[in-house]
Amino acid sequence: MPPPCMVHEQDQYMPIANVIRIMRRILPAHAKISDDAKETIQECVSEYISFITGEANERCQREQRKTITAEDVVWAMGKLGFDEYVEPLTVFLTRYRETENEKTSLRGEPIFKRGIDYGQMMMAPYGPAFHMENHQGIFDAARAVGGYYYRDASGAGAGSSSQASLTNNFDPFGQFK
Amino acid sequence: MRQAGAYSGILCGGISGRTGPHLLPLARIKKIMKKSGDDVKMISGEAPIVFSKACELFIEELTQRSWLVTMQGKRRTLNKEDVTSAVLATDIFDFLVNLVSET
Repeated sequence: MPPPCMVHEQDQYMPIANVIRIMRRILPAHAKISDDAKETIQECVSEYISFITGEANERCQREQRKTITAEDVVWAMGKLGFDEYVEPLTVFLTRYRETENEKTSLRGEPIFKRGIDYGQMMMAPYGPAFHMENHQGIFDAARAVGGYYYRDASGAGAGSSSQASLTNNFDPFGQFK
Repeated sequence: MRQAGAYSGILCGGISGRTGPHLLPLARIKKIMKKSGDDVKMISGEAPIVFSKACELFIEELTQRSWLVTMQGKRRTLNKEDVTSAVLATDIFDFLVNLVSET
């Protein structure tokens, strides 16, 4: 007997506004998102966190450690098939730690080094990290239309032009013919 | 909503902030991590931070795949069925099959 419809308790999920904002980075400007799609993706995110955490936690227990670390989380993602995330996350973590170290060692100096464009650093690992053969050419196609996945730090219009080509010229299944 | 501090630079993908603030709430992430199992004890401070970035990647991937289904149907509204199709078509999303099959 299936359980009664669960109340969609907001505190179990990422805030819907944040989820939508991230979705909008992918979607072309004219795209609409149904409410049930937003909720479903919200639920999927929480499920993802639980799924990865479970695996990370098991590893900690096997190794008799009490604290789940960032490394455990990234390791679990690699183990559970999200190996394409490992490199960008590792770079992200390294940058984060460097910034934290700067904060403690540069007391009294401006912390925000505006010359550093983290966007550029975030871009590089996206390319090589996405292995085409594992993902049925999804990211291959995305790159083919002008790097939809690439946050182009230089061009303000880069996002929208990528979106245009994605919808106008893009045959998502062309490479499967 | 812009949060000053090291996080916004890293997580926004650029200090210029062109991409806008999108920090996923760390306390909420930690709460969900704790709920994932009775035996989850301690979580390092960095774990929710790496998850916030991972969740962005996850949402982007799921959205991208769902939208391809929408386009295949020559529609402009991404609906729940498109998400379901994307989940079913992607091996690494197997853990979501039950979730999208409910209701």
